[in-house]
Amino acid sequence: MRKIKTFIKKNPAFTVFFILAVLLVGTAVFAPLLAPYDPYEAVLADAVQPPSSEHWFGTDRMGRDLFSRVIYGSRTSLAAALSLVGIIVAAGTFLGIIAGYFGGILDAVIMRISDMMISFPGMVLAIAVAGILGASIGNAVIAIAIVSWTKYARLARSLVLKIYHQDYIAAARVTGSKTFHILCKYMLLNALPTILITGATDIGSMMLEIAGLSFLGFGAQPPAAEWGYMLNEGRAYITAAPWLMIFPGLAIFITVVIFNLLGDSLRDVLDPRDE
Amino acid sequence: MKKTKKITALVLAVMMAGSLGACGGSGSPSEKGGGSGPSGEGTHLNFSCYNYSNSMDPITNVNSSWCFLRYGIGECLFRFDENVVVEEALCDSYETEDYTTWILHIRDGVQFSNGNQLTPSVVKESLERVYQAETDGTGNSTPSQYVTFSSIEANDEAGTVTLVCDNQTVNLPGILAYPWYGIVDTSVIDSEVIGTGPYAVTAVAENSTVDLEKNTYYWDGEVPYDTITLYLTEDSSTKAMALKSGDVDLVENITTASDLEELKEDPAYYVSTTAGVRLGNSYFNFKGALGNDALRQAILYAIDDETMCDVTVGGMYTPGCSVLPSSLSYGYDQLTDTYAYNLDKAVEVLDEAGIVDTDGDGYRELEGENINLNYIAYSSRNLDEFAQAVSITLESIGIGCTVTVQDYDTALANQSAGSFDLITSNAIVVPTGDPAGFLGNFYSKNSATYGYYANAEYDELYEQLLAETDPDQQQELIVELQQILIDDGATLVHGYYNSTFASRAETVTGADITPMDYYWITTKIRPAR
Repeated sequence: MRKIKTFIKKNPAFTVFFILAVLLVGTAVFAPLLAPYDPYEAVLADAVQPPSSEHWFGTDRMGRDLFSRVIYGSRTSLAAALSLVGIIVAAGTFLGIIAGYFGGILDAVIMRISDMMISFPGMVLAIAVAGILGASIGNAVIAIAIVSWTKYARLARSLVLKIYHQDYIAAARVTGSKTFHILCKYMLLNALPTILITGATDIGSMMLEIAGLSFLGFGAQPPAAEWGYMLNEGRAYITAAPWLMIFPGLAIFITVVIFNLLGDSLRDVLDPRDE
Repeated sequence: MKKTKKITALVLAVMMAGSLGACGGSGSPSEKGGGSGPSGEGTHLNFSCYNYSNSMDPITNVNSSWCFLRYGIGECLFRFDENVVVEEALCDSYETEDYTTWILHIRDGVQFSNGNQLTPSVVKESLERVYQAETDGTGNSTPSQYVTFSSIEANDEAGTVTLVCDNQTVNLPGILAYPWYGIVDTSVIDSEVIGTGPYAVTAVAENSTVDLEKNTYYWDGEVPYDTITLYLTEDSSTKAMALKSGDVDLVENITTASDLEELKEDPAYYVSTTAGVRLGNSYFNFKGALGNDALRQAILYAIDDETMCDVTVGGMYTPGCSVLPSSLSYGYDQLTDTYAYNLDKAVEVLDEAGIVDTDGDGYRELEGENINLNYIAYSSRNLDEFAQAVSITLESIGIGCTVTVQDYDTALANQSAGSFDLITSNAIVVPTGDPAGFLGNFYSKNSATYGYYANAEYDELYEQLLAETDPDQQQELIVELQQILIDDGATLVHGYYNSTFASRAETVTGADITPMDYYWITTKIRPAR
């Protein structure tokens, strides 16, 4: 308990943003308890109602309760963003570590593919991939993952190369440690803090990219409660019924800010240079 | 040295400021004036419209031929009035005895916008050109879809063109009013598209603007504007905002209900709306779950088309039950809406037919499998909103329905391949002033592309309609055909699309939209002051 208190005292910013992030995740998990209405239940005659005591955020063009949809939207948006970051962190780190450790042709192939990916504008390539795969939130995650893993691969590779010639790695080899053991025990563990910090900071921007694809019609499809798609739905009503854009927009803004600041404060906690 | 650096920095700063200023100032419609010409002389109109085609040549494709008429560049031998009745235009009289040979008299004294005379020979060449383009593949317009001629003869002395149709064609004037048959000056067509309309094209910036100027030779009254700039705008809200900001004076078809509502409520704008000739509907695929009569009937009972038209799409459509709009004179009043909205009845029909949810998962089953209808929509003229509203309603009575919004070409490919349960559509039902062509979508020999509807009685009556020349008999048959389609639940009718024009009341007058949306820029649109 004392340790926790000390940690909180030492890292107040991280603690605050961590609690806020937990609250966000809690909102997504307990959406059915928090949402006053079924987010998919429509009363067509009650379309585009302004915010009121009955509907806190008003209703959308199909007469669905916007507050409930924003709450449920956290499920889709958070799940998609977290799984996307999970995929690119895992795939990028794995490829980067083996490229850096084994070098040679493997390194050349992985890094040249990575160079090819970087040479395209990310969002345009993601739109092309999503266009080919078909519009859905799952395909949007795949599309963005295809163009985003390279960052982690390059990062992991450079971190591996940094310690590759260190004496303790040579010692591990000499004492008969197996390659898999060296990769997991030394290479991965060494790269992990930096990768995790980058991953945490990326949650916000990945959420924006998913919302962007959904806004353009390449992500979530009707009747999904997803913030980017809700923005797209409300776009036509920007002057007549601005709440259709304000509340999903605000939800995206708050979530992205929380995860960005959480990533920053996580860096302060984990960055070994500060110690 | 320091001084040189300072002077260089100053020069660069001035250059940057200059270039930024130039970026901001270029091409702003408001600076080009609303009411006076670009140089401040004469009358000028800024009109914002959707860009359907960069070509204005009738042979290129359907959309280009429409642009030829819509931009006021060209005209046909006949045209439709505001009641969708055919009237003479470049042809001022005609005669026929057998509906096969037609002698058309070409109006005297008509000149193209370049000053060339409109003669029967030019009319003949212009008509032959559009058929030739179809035959040799140089154009995508398909004039033979409506009529084919065994001969076209011109007599310049008598001022007549004699058309001999391959088959008896009762509605030839209506067909010749279709934009494909727009008359161009064939002597210059290789370099420019010149017609007899009130305006002529002076410059085209693809996907951006089209500049028009007055046709000083125009035959049908005074042309009110010296110049017109068409701003080609894709997005409906952008068009509305351009109108509100004063960048443009007139816009066509604002499809966002909220924007339209705002304009209607503000006296500074004049909004002209007409129940047009476009049907918004969804075709059922009879070779799938929707081949089941009870399921289709239940869907028709469940759909509250009035709420969808009035609220969901904000009055962009007028509700109705038949495939032919209530605003046209095809006996809508004589029809009975067999499956008028009644949600309880929908549930009752499903229960009675044994289409029930046996496993308690919330979805009804048909032949042992959960119903999940594949509903394809494209986001034109509010069709995706209808699809979503229908889907939500169907889900509420336990009919699974997944909406996929696709681009128009993909949706059309799926429609042709029969890969759908429901698919949205918005089409003109009387393209030539005659509904026979559209009713043919449900004729069993044509219906493969429209969901495989088939009814022997319908086929028989439809064949009678094609052979019938008496207008009263035709009318009776059309009413019968409509009622069969309603009784069979052949298609899900959403409503009839309301075309709109919105203009700034202080600068423009006479901007009324016509039901036949082949005509946008006409001489009736003129400066308010």
